[in-house]
Amino acid sequence: MADADQVTITINGIDHVVAAGQLLITAAENIGEIIPRFCHHDKLEPVAKCRMCLVEVEGPRGKALVPSCTMPVSNGMVVDTKSAVVTKAHEGVLEFLLINHPLDCPICDKGGECPLQDQAYAHGPGESRFVEEKRTYLKPLPVSDLVLLDRERCVLCDRCVRVADDIAGDPLLVFTERGNAVQIQTFPDEPFASYFSGNTVQLCPVGALTSVDYRFKARPWDLHHVTSVSLVDTVQSTVDVQTSRGKIVRVYGVENDAVNEGWLSDKDRFVFPAIHADTRVVQPLVRNGERFDKATWGEALEIVASRLGSCKGAEVAAIGGAHNTNEDAFALGKFMRSVIGSAHIDAQIGDGLDARLAAAVTSRARLGDLDAASTILVWGPDLKEVLPVLYLRVRKATRNGATLVVVSPVATGLDSVADHVVRYRAGTGSELLRKLGAGDGDLVGARSALREGPVVALVGRTSLAEDPNLAESIAAFALSLPEAKILPLLERGNVFGALDMGLAPGLLPGRVSVDSQEGVDAIEDAWGPLPDHEGLDAMSILADLVEGDMSALVMVGSDPVSDCPDPQLARAAIEAADFVVAIDAFITDSSVLADVILPAAVWGEVDGTVTNLEGRVQRIRPSLLPAGQSRALHGLLDDIASQMGADLGTSDLAMISKEIASVAPSYAGITIDYLTFAGDPDGVVVPIEDAQQPLVYTPVDRPVPVVTGEFTLHLAASLYDAGVWLSNAAALGDLARSAYVRLHPSDAARRAITPGETIVVSGSHQLPVALDDTVSRGTLVVPHNLEETKGFVATPTVTVDTVRGEE
Amino acid sequence: MSSPISAWSHASQERVQTILDSYPEPRSAIMPLLYIASLEHDRVSPEAMRQVAELTGVTPAQVASVASFYTMFKRDGVGEYLVSVCTSISCFLRGADDVLEVVEDATGARRGETSSDGTFTVEHVECIGSCGGAPAVQVNYELIEGVSTDNGRKLVAWLKDTKPQVVLADEMQQLFGGSRSFDWGGPEPEGAIAPVPAFGPYGSSGEGR
Repeated sequence: MADADQVTITINGIDHVVAAGQLLITAAENIGEIIPRFCHHDKLEPVAKCRMCLVEVEGPRGKALVPSCTMPVSNGMVVDTKSAVVTKAHEGVLEFLLINHPLDCPICDKGGECPLQDQAYAHGPGESRFVEEKRTYLKPLPVSDLVLLDRERCVLCDRCVRVADDIAGDPLLVFTERGNAVQIQTFPDEPFASYFSGNTVQLCPVGALTSVDYRFKARPWDLHHVTSVSLVDTVQSTVDVQTSRGKIVRVYGVENDAVNEGWLSDKDRFVFPAIHADTRVVQPLVRNGERFDKATWGEALEIVASRLGSCKGAEVAAIGGAHNTNEDAFALGKFMRSVIGSAHIDAQIGDGLDARLAAAVTSRARLGDLDAASTILVWGPDLKEVLPVLYLRVRKATRNGATLVVVSPVATGLDSVADHVVRYRAGTGSELLRKLGAGDGDLVGARSALREGPVVALVGRTSLAEDPNLAESIAAFALSLPEAKILPLLERGNVFGALDMGLAPGLLPGRVSVDSQEGVDAIEDAWGPLPDHEGLDAMSILADLVEGDMSALVMVGSDPVSDCPDPQLARAAIEAADFVVAIDAFITDSSVLADVILPAAVWGEVDGTVTNLEGRVQRIRPSLLPAGQSRALHGLLDDIASQMGADLGTSDLAMISKEIASVAPSYAGITIDYLTFAGDPDGVVVPIEDAQQPLVYTPVDRPVPVVTGEFTLHLAASLYDAGVWLSNAAALGDLARSAYVRLHPSDAARRAITPGETIVVSGSHQLPVALDDTVSRGTLVVPHNLEETKGFVATPTVTVDTVRGEE
Repeated sequence: MSSPISAWSHASQERVQTILDSYPEPRSAIMPLLYIASLEHDRVSPEAMRQVAELTGVTPAQVASVASFYTMFKRDGVGEYLVSVCTSISCFLRGADDVLEVVEDATGARRGETSSDGTFTVEHVECIGSCGGAPAVQVNYELIEGVSTDNGRKLVAWLKDTKPQVVLADEMQQLFGGSRSFDWGGPEPEGAIAPVPAFGPYGSSGEGR
């Protein structure tokens, strides 16, 4: 025996030294001895349900068959995985499992990649003695809008139930009719409406759970696989994008333990049909009065170049870039700063955090730090709605014993696993932070939990209506906690990559501040002189457009009318601008107001790198050619620059990549080639150690005013909103909830408001009311960006009027 | 927020609280609560399962998972009197099939079914632990041992004619039973008032007649 952490076991007559504490099935797999299994899965608790992994283990009373998925290895263990007894056991188990199985492999989606099919060939008896009639069930049974169930194919392995219950915390799939008719079922009228339902399809070892999107679309052996990264949110889960005949037909999670551990949200998994939607803009469009005319790229680019070229640099602004690759974002920043001569560029739309906090906070956490955290503080948006895969990671940490403190004005998805749930009235966060810091009153428990390090603090804005400075105060407090690390929470796809590429006023590529003379000099050496004016953020840009201080706007995959805290301002700004070009794939509430729409290549079509919320750079790879005449951003910007007589030098991806690696200090050496050929397949974390990062940002506890008024606003984000991608994504499009305003029953009673009644919020939106005693008193919860709440302005306080006439 | 069971009888609501208070984990109370819910709803209806789920902090699916395993949680409605005839080995050897046929004939309900007037539900059950007193029959889970075909017919007729509010094992044993498996001890004062077993605070126990 080598040391205490290792044991020696004998498998099929050969001695192996393996790590102690692991399961026999895992130890055997690691040394190349694959034991067949259905119910066992690395990420799930062992249950030994299917009995497929039986092996012979020598014990005091001779050899015995034991399920290797629940048997931990021990020193001197003697195992036989191939004896006649084991073979006979495997044949027996498979013969039983196949008794009621329909054997409809030729028409089954799983056929060709099915563990049951494969293991029946490898370990089955070849022939069944069962000649009686098989059991039949109604099929397929939709267990949700996204997932179909075939109970005849099911081998009752319990994987889907464990995913739903243990991993996702949505125990909506269960075994019912235990006994002869045991089956997987949902409750009548209560579908498997989990944000993680697609994971059960991926984990199902037979064809019992299939996805609506993929049903009968392709055969596994015809699929083309590309490992890429999901751009649905800033976790940037690693995905396997599977195409057939030029279309994406399926997205599976890849077990990248540093990031998503194989899990995906249903939005990650099922949003891809939007790429193939016939509503996509696939040709340049040029405004002609009230409508758009189709144009050639030549015509469109000429218009854009001449209109932008006729403005002074400081009169042009760009909003967006958070859904693009790092290379595209870099090209956009370089285009604005060196060709247009404008520093007005912002990847966020007034809905995020201070760019320096997000990009360069000291002691930035990695996702893996959550696994080792003693205490986790979540003070930000509802992770289940905004960053679902991060929600899973926090849930996992609590299962492993971390203490969880959740602070929010309303109930969040994590409350059920939290040790301390702290609620506060929206708008009074700074007051609460002071009390939490002092451990006042009933916060003493939460405060003492935060004294147990290492602490990982997940910090963001709980809602669009919340002062972004509060997050900085929270971060400043969090940094005072023992062994504290901070994970800033932003939602939009590659927004962290965009910030790292300098798409923020005050930032240059590679986490460099414009205040750093050294940084400015380095960039100017490469690009020529930078604009000498101070850059404005998105909200100021929109205000200046309305005022007429600015005249042209470039929107890059951004939709300020839907996403910014003040949609009215955004609309007014776009309408007031002399010239607006939208580089987008869809007609959105914003791009519909543009003068020119240039069709953009999107996720699935673009190539390059992206950076997630922990600063991890991964390769994003194309599976498709850009639809129609769509083009990648870096190339079309290069063409606009040429039309304006400038050389942007971004026509070639490899060139941009090299330029980033040389001019963006924190990205030194991280090129596409490096990530493709030399880097860790999990991606590379941009150095966050303070010495290697040019900009080191320590948040300060800035004064944040406490909001007063009858109702303060919590503008709640939801996973399925009226966003343009979701609306165009087949099955997901119908999942947006209906909009209810929620308030505390006592507030409702005071105003004599009854559930279901329609009220007027802020004089602009008529919405039905639901009572919810998890909402803090004095807080009004309005769902953000649903069809019914479009155009709602995120003000700190809101007014409530009834519509039922005099009373 | 209003209680999920505000429509239940006051007595039931109190029993629910007693039961919930006696378990450290609310979900442990699922089974006893299902009995009370089935008294309120006359069966373990989806609505009943939803209410129990809310009381115990689990999902309705998890309650259904429990409820569907146990045959004594009746998800389909049953009649006023649930007549269960044991057909396991001892009772079978002592003529249980004949008793079952007689009961079906007299009630007008086939096994697994309810008579058209809603009075009887007939079922055959696996061993109910009275092998020594075979054949055994239960009415609303109150046990009668050594039931002959003749007495089976009389039992049904008696239930039909007298419509007892409370069925008592001792009383029925005296009227329609045969040899007992063992001496059951002194008389039991409480019987069942509904097709829900009469145990303690969970069930349907009513004072004897």
